[in-house]
Amino acid sequence: MEFVNPEGLRLDGRRPMEMRQLRAEIGAVARADGSAVFEMGNTKVIAAVYGPREVQNKSQQSNDQALVRCEYTMANFSTGDRKRKPKGDRRSTEISLVIRQTMEACILTHLMPRSQIDIYVQVLQADGGTRSACINAATLALADAGIPMRDLVTSCSSGYLNSTPLLDLNYLEDSAGGPDVTVGFLPKLDRVTLLQMDAKLPVDIVENVMQLAIEGCKAIATYIREVLLENTKQLEYRRGL
Amino acid sequence: MRLQNYGFRNFVGCGFGILLPMSGPVKMVGLSLGEKHFIKGGIDQNIRSDGRKRDYYRPIFVETGVIPQANGSARVRMGATEVIASVKAELGKPSALHPDKGKVVIFVDCSAVAEPTFEGRGGEELSAELSVALERCLLGGTSGAGAGIDLTSLIVAEGKICWDLYIDSLVISSDGNLLDALGASIKAALANTAIPKVNISAAASADEQPEVDISDEEFLQFDTSAVPVIITLTQVGRHYIVDATSEEESHMSSAVSISVNRKGHVCGLTKRGGEGLDPSVVSDMISVAQHLSELLMSRLDSEISAAEAEIGDDEES
Repeated sequence: MEFVNPEGLRLDGRRPMEMRQLRAEIGAVARADGSAVFEMGNTKVIAAVYGPREVQNKSQQSNDQALVRCEYTMANFSTGDRKRKPKGDRRSTEISLVIRQTMEACILTHLMPRSQIDIYVQVLQADGGTRSACINAATLALADAGIPMRDLVTSCSSGYLNSTPLLDLNYLEDSAGGPDVTVGFLPKLDRVTLLQMDAKLPVDIVENVMQLAIEGCKAIATYIREVLLENTKQLEYRRGL
Repeated sequence: MRLQNYGFRNFVGCGFGILLPMSGPVKMVGLSLGEKHFIKGGIDQNIRSDGRKRDYYRPIFVETGVIPQANGSARVRMGATEVIASVKAELGKPSALHPDKGKVVIFVDCSAVAEPTFEGRGGEELSAELSVALERCLLGGTSGAGAGIDLTSLIVAEGKICWDLYIDSLVISSDGNLLDALGASIKAALANTAIPKVNISAAASADEQPEVDISDEEFLQFDTSAVPVIITLTQVGRHYIVDATSEEESHMSSAVSISVNRKGHVCGLTKRGGEGLDPSVVSDMISVAQHLSELLMSRLDSEISAAEAEIGDDEES
C-alpha cells in the first residue's frame, strides 16, 4: 500500500514532515484543579489533574516527595469498533505507567512532600498518537493546576514508511506495520525524557527519525506556550489587571 | 469547596463508646453544619445557593455530532455537569422472543476525569446504577412494551436481521443531576443518529441469512418524537428541588427520577435515597414532573435543533 504517493503526499494530504492540526483548550473540567483538552488531528484527549492533595493510601505516602499517579482510559466510542472494556487492559496499564513516569520526571515533587497528584487522561477519539496527545494534554492540565514543573513535556511520534521519515502518524499509518517512534521531550532543557519504538528500523535511519520527532515536539512546545500565554492573559483580564 | 455524595453511611463504634460516621467512598472535606443549614434554609425560602428557584434548571448547552465515527453523538452540559453520548448501530440477529424488534443497549461510564473516586473500579457501582435507571426509563419493560424508543423501527428482516443500537455515555464532569443530563444527551444523540439504509437481496429461503447491502449514501434519521426526558426531583428538608448540584445532593433525603414523554405520560420511575416518602408526596412529585417536563422538552428540542442547524451550516459552508 502506498503511504507516500509520487507527489510526496500522504494518505490525508499532508507532507512527510507536516504535523496534524493542533488544538488545545484549558479548563474543560470545572471541578478539577487543572484540566485540558488536546487535539492532534482527529485524536482528541481530555486530561484532568487533582492535586496536590492528601494521600489516600497512607502506605504509599512518601516523606520527601509527592506521589504522582496516572490513569489512562479510552472511551467506548473512541475507536472505530466499539470497545467493550474501557479500562484495566494491558495496553491501558502500560500507557498509564509511561505517562506517569514521564510526568514524574519533570514535576518538582520534592516541593510537595506527603501529598498526591492524580493525573487522569481520557481518550475521546483515537486516530493514532494517543500516547503523545495524552502527554501534551497532561502537561497543559498540570500547568493549569499550577503544579511546579521543571519544563513543559511535549511528545510527538514519527515513523518510516515507503523509505520516507513521516512525522505524526495517524491510525492508518501506525497500523501499517512500519516503525513507530514516540519521543517525549523537554524543550528548554533540551532533553529527551521518553523514547519508545516498535518494529524494525535500520540503524542509520534511527537518528533521522528520532530527530524528526524531536522537531515535532519543539513545534508542539511553541504551540503549548502560546496557549498558556493566551490563557494567562484571559485570567488577567478577568481579574481586571 | 469540594463535596462528594455519601453512598451510604456506616457507623463504626470506637473504644470510647462514641459512634463515628464512616463514609463509603473516600472523599475530601465535607460540609460544615452552618453550610448545611444555609443550603436547607435557602431551599425552604425558594432561593438556592446559585440564585435559582426550586424548579429552575441550570443553563443547558447541547452540541451534536461530536464523535464523527459514531452514527450519532451529542455533548450536553447542565451547569458544570457534562456528559457525552454516542450511538453506534451494528447489524445483529433479533432475539427469538421478539423477532420483530431490534435491540438497544445502554452503557454509562463514569470517567475518573470527573471525580478522582471513579478511578479504577470506583465508578462501577454508579455506572451500573445509572445504566439500569436509563434502560428502565427509556426502554420500557422486559417485554419491550411502552418503550420510549420504537424498537420495531430497527428491524431489517423479521426474525433474521435487525439493528443493534449501542448507546455509550461518558460522564466527563460531575456536579449533580447526572441522570437528567444523561437522558438529555441520549435524546440529543438519537436525534443526531443516522442509520444507513439496508437493501436486502430478495427471495432468500426461510432458514438462510439474506444478503445485505448497507448503503453508504442513504440514511434514515432516527425518530425521537417519543423519546422521554428524565426529571429528577431531590427532596431536601421539606421541599423538593429540580436539577440539584452535587452540594445539594450530598444531603438529600431522597430523590425520585421520573421520565415523561411528549404526551405527558410517565414512562419510568426510580426512587433513590434512604428516607421513605409519603405516597401523596410521590403523586405530587409526579404532577410537578409532568409540568416541568413540558418546559424541559421544549428547551431541549430548541437546543437540539439549533445544534443540528449549526452542523448543517458547517457542512454547507
